[in-house]
Amino acid sequence: MAARPWLAIAARHACNDDDTGIRVTTLAANPAKIAAIDPGRTAIQDGARRIDYATLSRAAIRLALTLRAEGVQIGDRVALILPNRIEAVIAWYGIWLAGAAVVPLNAQARERDFTPWLKHSGARLAIHETGHIDAESAATEVGVITLTVPAARDDVDWPPPDSSADSASEQTLPLPDSDALAAILYTSGTTGAPKGVALSHGNLAANVDAILDYLQLTDDDSIVTVLPFYYSYGASVLHTHLAAGARVVIEDNLVFPHLITQALAREQATGFSGVPSTFALLLDRGQLDQHDLSSLRYLTQAGGGMAPALTRRLREAIPQARLFVMYGQTEASARLTCLAPERLDDKLGSVGRAIKGVSIEVRREDGSRADANEHGEVWARGDNVMTGYWQAPEATAATLVDGWLRTGDLGHLDAEGFLWLAGRRSDMIKTGAHRVHPADVEEVIAEMPGVAEVAVTGIDDALLGQVVAAFVVRAGDTPTEMAIKAHCRQRLAIYKIPKRIDFVDALPKTASGKIRRAALTGEPQ
Amino acid sequence: MTRRQQIKQFILGNFLFTDDESALADDTSLIQDGIIDSTGILELIMFLEETWSITVPPEDMTPAHFDSLVSIDQYLESRLAG
Repeated sequence: MAARPWLAIAARHACNDDDTGIRVTTLAANPAKIAAIDPGRTAIQDGARRIDYATLSRAAIRLALTLRAEGVQIGDRVALILPNRIEAVIAWYGIWLAGAAVVPLNAQARERDFTPWLKHSGARLAIHETGHIDAESAATEVGVITLTVPAARDDVDWPPPDSSADSASEQTLPLPDSDALAAILYTSGTTGAPKGVALSHGNLAANVDAILDYLQLTDDDSIVTVLPFYYSYGASVLHTHLAAGARVVIEDNLVFPHLITQALAREQATGFSGVPSTFALLLDRGQLDQHDLSSLRYLTQAGGGMAPALTRRLREAIPQARLFVMYGQTEASARLTCLAPERLDDKLGSVGRAIKGVSIEVRREDGSRADANEHGEVWARGDNVMTGYWQAPEATAATLVDGWLRTGDLGHLDAEGFLWLAGRRSDMIKTGAHRVHPADVEEVIAEMPGVAEVAVTGIDDALLGQVVAAFVVRAGDTPTEMAIKAHCRQRLAIYKIPKRIDFVDALPKTASGKIRRAALTGEPQ
Repeated sequence: MTRRQQIKQFILGNFLFTDDESALADDTSLIQDGIIDSTGILELIMFLEETWSITVPPEDMTPAHFDSLVSIDQYLESRLAG
């Protein structure tokens, strides 16, 4: 890690090159860079609270020093268990400035998720809201020290200004190197070995750079965001906008979609990002036609294919906004391809072409390159591709091959290099903005007496894309549907609870005994 | 069964999956506590509309009206009185 005077760098930076000519490929300095130019510019709004870039930068430095005082050292991991709120943003940048890596964990998860994640990441410290019983219990069990954020969202004074670290605010903090670990994002569940995507500072910086290239964000932009910062899409939205000096307006959730629309109009937002179900909710219940949304300049959509009919409705509802359809993976920091708005008409259904710095190939089973329009697996390469799965060399070796990322997604490239996806080599369920691994739910249901076998899969849902369904084979005194759901509710995040439970005599299996999930939903084999 | 009890039974059965009445207090925040999400709110409103023959206009769908048993009951009362 190169030691550079932090405050000097913060004041000097207007671009990504330091005075040695070496490219500084980290996002960690971005709030300070903007603060050096325009300290009073609003960075984050969270309800009635707002924080400007200078305050964000100072709070991040203060947190970094607090973490150091708590024993966090360069290379350590810090678990971040917060919903979207100003303090979550302070934490991302403060952890980086401390030289540690962020392990953002789904704040809705339960103790049975947190415990293996904390163990597997080897987190030195966990940051969570006061009163988060599951996080507290897991931290206690694993022996991780904690730093709490008041659950009430009052003034922005976290970490407290009178903390012992504050007196050291003049000291220097080195910026992390490009290849230093920046984040571990857990994509898989907790059954067996957790799968944590290890991303370097260079990975994240490369992806932000590429996204800025096509979105052309400026400090005049402002985005209303509903995407959780603990997922790669939400994190990407956050970091790209802060890199541009833009304003990020946090809206809690989509329970009341017209409140999101009101926020877009009230804040005169220039951007909005969502997954297909986000846009479906806004179109159905957002009362888009009753608000002035003329400020919206761009929309981004990722997180699974959006039905062409929904895309058309969205374009008709907000015609002046440029809609960017994107595809990516957590393993690629976030983004791999983008369909330019100008090509939506003639390439509707495609996820576009490789973004700046990324190469995409479709390959056959034997690894050879497929011809144009030939179906195969999508492989990707670029500086944004992860360094590997954390502490999982076998999984890494199976996924990163000769410098290429095997995405597991299937599809083809057309003659112009546009990627068209068609399915996935994975049982992962995509429900709204969430990903659910069937094994996580199966494990919980299988714990119950009276359950001989269980298989979980995704079934189509008009709004959420898929919802979780469980197929249960009885064994004697089988629990009721409500008892199974109650059992799940105690142990799983709300979005993992099966919406549907079917009792069956047997599960469809292959000759080798593997469950044929597609057969559960009657899909063609 | 009072109106509030009916609503409570619906929430207990459909979102908390229990018949234990102590699992839900009158002032429990349904949204902050993660009991109801974006699809759950639709199910709840459909239940209210069907059971009491009312229509909930989209602009009324706010946390002030639907965040707790108390607020739902008060909202329902205002709709039925209107």
